[in-house]
Amino acid sequence: MYFILAWRNIWRNKRRSIITILSIAFAVLLACVMRSLQLGSYNRMIENAARFYTGYIQVHKNGYWLDKTLDNSFENNAKLINTIANTKGVKVAVPRLESFALASYSTKTKGALILGIDPIKEDSLTKVKSKIIEGEYINNGDKSVMVAEGLAKYLKLGVGDSIVLIGQGYHGANAAAIYAIKGIMKFPVPMQNNQTVYLPLKEAQWFFDAPNQLTSISLVVDQAKNVDRIVSDLSAHIDTKALEVMGWRDLMPDLVQGIEIDNISGQIMLWVLYAVIGFGMFGTFLMMTAERMYEFGVMMSVGMERLKMQFIVFMEMGMMASIAVLTGIGIALPFLVYYHLNPIFFSGESAKAIENFGIEPAYFFSLDPVIFYSQAWTIFFMAFILGFYPLFIIQKLKPVEAMREAL
Amino acid sequence: MKYLVSGLFLLLTFQAVGQTAKEIVKKADDKMQGESNKSEMKMTIVRPSWKREITMKGWSMGREYSLILITAPARDKGSAFLKRKNEMWNWQPSIDRVIKLPPSMMLQSWMGSDFTNDDLVKESSIVHDYDQTLAQDTIISGLDCYKIIMVPHENAAVVWGKVIVYIDKVNFNELLVYYYDEDNFLVNTMILSDVKEMGGRIIPTHLEMIPADEPNNKTVIDYLNLEFNLHLQESFFSLQNMKRVR
Repeated sequence: MYFILAWRNIWRNKRRSIITILSIAFAVLLACVMRSLQLGSYNRMIENAARFYTGYIQVHKNGYWLDKTLDNSFENNAKLINTIANTKGVKVAVPRLESFALASYSTKTKGALILGIDPIKEDSLTKVKSKIIEGEYINNGDKSVMVAEGLAKYLKLGVGDSIVLIGQGYHGANAAAIYAIKGIMKFPVPMQNNQTVYLPLKEAQWFFDAPNQLTSISLVVDQAKNVDRIVSDLSAHIDTKALEVMGWRDLMPDLVQGIEIDNISGQIMLWVLYAVIGFGMFGTFLMMTAERMYEFGVMMSVGMERLKMQFIVFMEMGMMASIAVLTGIGIALPFLVYYHLNPIFFSGESAKAIENFGIEPAYFFSLDPVIFYSQAWTIFFMAFILGFYPLFIIQKLKPVEAMREAL
Repeated sequence: MKYLVSGLFLLLTFQAVGQTAKEIVKKADDKMQGESNKSEMKMTIVRPSWKREITMKGWSMGREYSLILITAPARDKGSAFLKRKNEMWNWQPSIDRVIKLPPSMMLQSWMGSDFTNDDLVKESSIVHDYDQTLAQDTIISGLDCYKIIMVPHENAAVVWGKVIVYIDKVNFNELLVYYYDEDNFLVNTMILSDVKEMGGRIIPTHLEMIPADEPNNKTVIDYLNLEFNLHLQESFFSLQNMKRVR
């Protein structure tokens, strides 16, 4: 009975209700798209970073994280590998030896990150094989390298050319060697694309004069949310005096902080948006109350209880908010699903400009449910607070005055 | 008359014994350098957790020219360093390249040791670029020594703010050297010992360089063989010869 009354009340003044609903729905749509884009980009950034650099978990020597030099590498032994492989949730352990050196070809020289990798395991983490745009992927026994496209362009070399690497090896040893280029890789993140050189692990160990040494072991895990558990499991089983296990939140604090800052600015925008919607909603509620003063007065004079009237008005507002939120999400959802599956990639000048900031030039959308229900909760909460205004008016309403004023 | 004679005698002895600090330093410097020399040495880099040995041959002519050829470990064999005046090159046979060491690399460690590239290149002369003063004498491992405080000239291209050197009174060997920075903090200590005859001269053959901020690190150089005054030509210290020399 009350429900039907409230429902009919809404549609008695269609124009007013539709405007209210659309303004809220549009705000919900905007908020959803914005949050989806933000959260989607964060996930992508984390995934990108985890998938390129460190994995979600990394094992390295104590002290390596603060001073990333070869002298802080550790010895690779079967027991350690077994312990890691036997930990629940760990899919692959990817060994690496990495350091910096100069890469040179003819008269050009540039600093490069030299990564010694196990080609097969590495691919299972970083999908590096799919980054090859020219030539072939390296094999375990090769004495050749893969070079990132940006670096290759700078040095003006291609597949089959020889690249000279010069640097300092383990314990200050002299590291200098010349390698044939087997493949060229293209990475989305410019920093990688401009400086990376991949070598088979054995060859890198020879180059840096660090036989059987590793700088890190990165772990592929079954699910990102298990990271914390695996970190504590592993820490319990290895010698934590010598080695350290780190999850991605510790591995990439700058990324985490960057995301937090961006997230806060996003939330501030969101609150501004909510404030605008809030006043819009308040406006319509105000209008509605003023418009219906006569009606309220008549209702009350014919014996309608205040409380029941308040209840109906309150229900109207709740229903309007629900319809609006559902409409907003309903419009947003198909778009978000589509763009979640087909991220927007930029091209041309704008892509270059974004790349220069070190960000992948693309928009990614998240379908995390929290995006949607947080909008719904906020709108409902606002409707609830603002709804007290008409209730308050009804509470203080004097039927005769109300009817006279309204006329 | 008697006084006059004894006065004259005194004066003569002063002249014989009382050489200036500059002369003492020059004698010591000449002794280690010779007009030219050829050496074989073993450098040991000592760190708390590891140790590395490098053997090499070196040729030098005065302060201006020197050439160092690495003979071991095997992976570095054949690489060479050439110094001409204040420039330095590195020959890497494994990559078939000569690399000129830029000024920015001069203060970096040489082959992972406690010596910097600049220590090898140093064109500064402990004789000409410093003002030497004699301080009180001391005894180091049973040998009477001069203690000489050297402060570089204002315009000299020297990285040290002060150097204190102890020179043996009999053989004019440097036995202990302290290197201070411009704020008078100790940076490096060099200890020279194992004095014996080599290449016709009595010289210290064991040299330890200890950085003050990391007392557990040191770099040791042992001379295995030394020859002096070989009459090398300037042309010996050329980029071409650096690639050829054995």
